[in-house]
Order: sequence, then structure tokens, then C-alpha cells
Amino acid sequence: MEIWRLPISASQRGKLISAGYTSLSSLSSISSSDLARELKVSESEAMNILKVASHSRGSETSNASCSIVEGAQSAWDMLHDEESLMHITTSSADLDNILGGGIHCKEVTEIGGVPGIGKTQLGIQIAVNVQIPNDFGGLGGKAVYIDTEGSFMVERAFQIAEACIEDMSEYNRFLRKDFQECKIKMQPQDILENIFYFRICSYTEQIALINYLDKFLSEHKDVKVIVVDSVTFHFRQDFDDMALRTRVLSGMALKLMNLANRFSLAVVLLNQVTTKHKEASFQLALALGDCWSHTCTNRIVLYWNGNERYAYIDKSPSLRSASAAYSITARGIRNSSSSCKRIKMM
Amino acid sequence: MKPQSLLQLTSQKCTIGCPILDRLLYGGIPCESITEIVAESGSGKTQICLQLSLHAQLPVSHGGLAASSLYLHTEFPFPFRRLHQLCLSFRSSNAHHFPVNDNPCDRIFVQSVHTADHLLEIMSKTDPFIENSKNQVPVRLIVIDSIAALFRSDFDNTPVELKRRSSLFFKISSKLKALAKRFNLAVLVTNQVVDLVGPNEGINGLRIGNLGCLHTSGRRVCPALGLAWANCVNSRLFLSRNEEVIREENEKSNGQSCDFVKKKMRKLYVVFAPHLPESSCEFEITREGLFGVER
Repeated sequence: MEIWRLPISASQRGKLISAGYTSLSSLSSISSSDLARELKVSESEAMNILKVASHSRGSETSNASCSIVEGAQSAWDMLHDEESLMHITTSSADLDNILGGGIHCKEVTEIGGVPGIGKTQLGIQIAVNVQIPNDFGGLGGKAVYIDTEGSFMVERAFQIAEACIEDMSEYNRFLRKDFQECKIKMQPQDILENIFYFRICSYTEQIALINYLDKFLSEHKDVKVIVVDSVTFHFRQDFDDMALRTRVLSGMALKLMNLANRFSLAVVLLNQVTTKHKEASFQLALALGDCWSHTCTNRIVLYWNGNERYAYIDKSPSLRSASAAYSITARGIRNSSSSCKRIKMM
Repeated sequence: MKPQSLLQLTSQKCTIGCPILDRLLYGGIPCESITEIVAESGSGKTQICLQLSLHAQLPVSHGGLAASSLYLHTEFPFPFRRLHQLCLSFRSSNAHHFPVNDNPCDRIFVQSVHTADHLLEIMSKTDPFIENSKNQVPVRLIVIDSIAALFRSDFDNTPVELKRRSSLFFKISSKLKALAKRFNLAVLVTNQVVDLVGPNEGINGLRIGNLGCLHTSGRRVCPALGLAWANCVNSRLFLSRNEEVIREENEKSNGQSCDFVKKKMRKLYVVFAPHLPESSCEFEITREGLFGVER
């Protein structure tokens, strides 16, 4: 339904249209105070417009969606939605297993660990794997890679992309007879082209970019993952006022969560570790403090166990605590080669 | 803000002047990133730094950056005589790249640094310095030898001081990375080691990088400056030095009873790097410089 059919005054209608609101659905997610500011009308007037709009929208979609607030969903619908969402594989079956299929869309996943454990490797792998086409059980999406540390190496991304394409051809040869028909047309160059790479040199740039992503993503709807490598680096300097840092970080996390939800994409934040002084001893903890640990949906800690790399699910609303070994090979992240039982449920 | 195309983003490398070591490092020290060399004293850190600042002057077609370099040293005195020695052999082996009266040392700018704040001050002046040197050979390499010397005395072992210290690490690192990005520089820093006591691996039982334990001169060591600084570098290399007793193969002509001799075994390890696998290579230091040895 169009704005011009709303039963409101002509001047209000004019203001709405000149502010860019042409359809009713564009009014569904805006608050009355924002609308008042934008149209330069009083707040009560704006509230009235929204009420009329939501009323006529209600009568338009009269298929008994008896939600109290606009946009609310029942848990049943949400479950259905979630089941239809795809996961981004990490290329290690063990890791995917404890993650419940891979990195989840519509969620913020934080991955932390010591330098050299493979955070950047996992980040690059995810940015490549998100592009696996639908025919091969992937998302066929694109990736946004935000590099704050300068650790992204194109030659490494190229290697991983090459291995990913080789694996897909293998899969093709074994499971499909009609090899010619769905031959892979992808090239490593295409994979690299579909990673939108941003190099960030300060925390102000980082925040500005995340604010800008909103616009960028509405123009690139096929982006299915945002990787931030690392979210921490620029926040570990120049902040004397820790309360300010916490506020800035929470705001940023909220924006990312919002993006994840609106564009149904996965957000992967890589974090560093730090030592934490606790009861006269030092312990390892992910950086950015206690408040930050609330902001991510899932938390995965990477650590060394002997000579093997392990991933541990530290926090998740839907997954059980578990750890699994993985290894980093020339071809990217893969299962650990040792034959002992690799997955440990707790 | 626009995303960069990865296809146009080439990670250029700067040769360190030895094909064997270059192969281990996939071409040399990468631009737009910070590479750290960790080793105890006398292992060859400064040798690599000097050699790299000479080889950065080679044309791009020969693995160099066709550039001059900025050498910040915190340990005194600066080894001018060794640089001169290396320079002579560098010139004689690459004579066709340089005019007759040209001295490669002219393209190494040396600056001493005394404190961490002094380093920050210098870095803020580096921006205009590099920008204004456009008409000459551009600066494409920054060497800091060593970063550890700045931090090992001025700070107390209290939580407040340690916090101030780690905040400085991140500040220095992000300034360096911003410079590296802006001017497409390679950055090489050196770091010292601390001895490791106690049964655990690493500090507080924490293992950083691919190698479980770093051994040099028969001792267990770990890189100085702790976990916070480890987060600030992109790649970390480690040099070890061990004395090995080997049997002398050829009997000396005068028939002396010198059956066993001690030999220095030097090795370069990749501790972690985004583009390199876990690997190592033996090397030796000669009058002409530092060279990898293939076994």
C-alpha cells in the first residue's frame, strides 16, 4: 500500500514522501522520535502517523498475524526460520560438528586465541567458504573482510581458495555422474574478487566503517559474512577512560548484531587474549573485559594442547560445551590428523 | 570508504639476500606488515637487519624494493664497521646495479632512539620525512633494532606500569602499521629473549606460536615483552644458536690431536606468520653476510 492512500493530512503526506517514505513497509521499523526529527513535526504527530500507518497495514495483511508489536515473531516461526538457515563450514568436520554445522548466520561469533594459533587462518577460510555455491551445500554468498592488523595475506587467501575449488571438484567426481553438467566454473580469482577487503588503521575508522556497512550491505545483498580481524587491536591503546571504551564497544557490537539480523548474515569477530590478574595469579582471558563478553552470541576459544590446536566452545545459547582438535595445513583449516578421539563433549 | 580489490593487492617482499632463506620466507620480508626477529644476543639479529637494509636497494626485478631504508637503533654503538664490510661485498656482487662512485650506505638513514616516547616522537616525524623524500630514492623499509631495549628498564613491575607499557606497545605497533600501509613499507623489528624457569611451556604455561619451546644455547627461552607485544606483530621469526661438538672430518695436516671441535649451529625458525607454515632452516654468518645452509 502506498503512502498517498493513508488517511492523514495532505501536508503530513507531503512531508513523508519528500523524506523518502513511499511505501508503508518503510515506516514499519522507525521509532516515533526518529520520524519526528526527520519530518520536523511534533512527536505526538509522528506517533499518530505511525498509528494510522500500522492500522492500515494491519487491515491490509488481515491474515490473522496477531502480533502485539510490529515485527514480532512466534518462537515456532523463529525455529522454522533458523532451520532453513545455512551454516558456513570451517572445512574441518570436527569443528563443524561441535559448532552444530558451522558458523551460524544471524549470529555474532567471537573467536579468540594466542598469536599464531590460527585466528587469521580461520577468518580467511570462512571468507572463502561462504562462497561455496548452493549446489555444494554452501551459501554462495560474498564476504566482507575488515583487517585491522594487516595480517591478511593475499597469497594465503589464494592458496586456500585454490584448495577449496579442488575439494569441490573432488566432491563432484565422486558423487555426481553428470560431471560435465555442473562443472565448476569458479576460479581462485573469482573467490578473491568476492571478498570485500577493508584495511583499517585506527579505531575511529573501524567505527566509521561499521556504521557505513549498513549502506554497503543494502547495496550488496549477497554478502553473507563479515569477518573482523581483529576487533581488539585498536582498542588496546589510547583509552584512558575504560568506561568510554566499554560504551563505544557495546555500541559497535549492537550495530553488528543488528546487521547480522537484518541481512541474515554471520558476523565473525576475532579477538586477542590477555592475562587477567585474579586472586593473586594470572589467568588467560579473551581481551576487552567482562562487559564485552556479554555482547557476542557465541564464543570460541582456540588453544594449544600439547602439539595440537584445539577449539573450545566457551559460550553459546544453543551449543553444548565441547572441544575439538583441528590443524592448519597448506590447504587451510582441516581436521586434526591424529587418530585419537578428537571430539570431547562436556 | 571503498573495499580494496584483492587482485590488485600484491604483497611485495624484500629479499634478505640469500636464496635459501628467501625460499623459507616465500620471498623475504613482506611489505605492509611487521616482522619480528627474536633471538638472544650474538645470534645474528643485527646481521639480518643490516643485510636487509642493503638488499632493499636492489631493483624490484631482483627481489628488492629499489628503496632506501630508515634504521632506528636502540643498542649502542651502531655497527658502522660491520655495515661497511657488508656494503663492500654487497657492492662487489651487485656491481652492475650501482654506478661506480655510488655508496649504498648513503641510502641507509640511521637514527638512535633512547626511550619509548622518543620512538613515538621520531615516528611522528617519519611521515613528513618519507613524504618529502619523494624526489630521492623513497624509503620503503623501517628497521628497529631492538624494540626490547626500550622497554626493559623504564617500567616497574606493577599493574599500572605494565598497563601503561602494553598500551604503548599497541600505540607503537599501530603507528608502524599505519606507516607501513600508507607508504607500502616493510617493517622489521628485533626483540630479545628472557630465560624460562619452571616446568611450564611459555609464560604462565602459555604457548605462543607453532613452536612449543624455544631453545638456544641449551637454555629454554621465550621472547621478551610478553603476550601483549606478541599481539602487535604479524610474523615472528626466531634465531637459535647452539654449540655442537662435531668430529673433525679431515685430520689436520700437522697431525695435532684436535679431533673434536666446537661448531656453532645457527637456525632460523618461523614461530608464526599468516602466510608461512612451521619451518626452519640452518644458516651461517660469514664475512660476506648471513646465508642459509641446505643439508
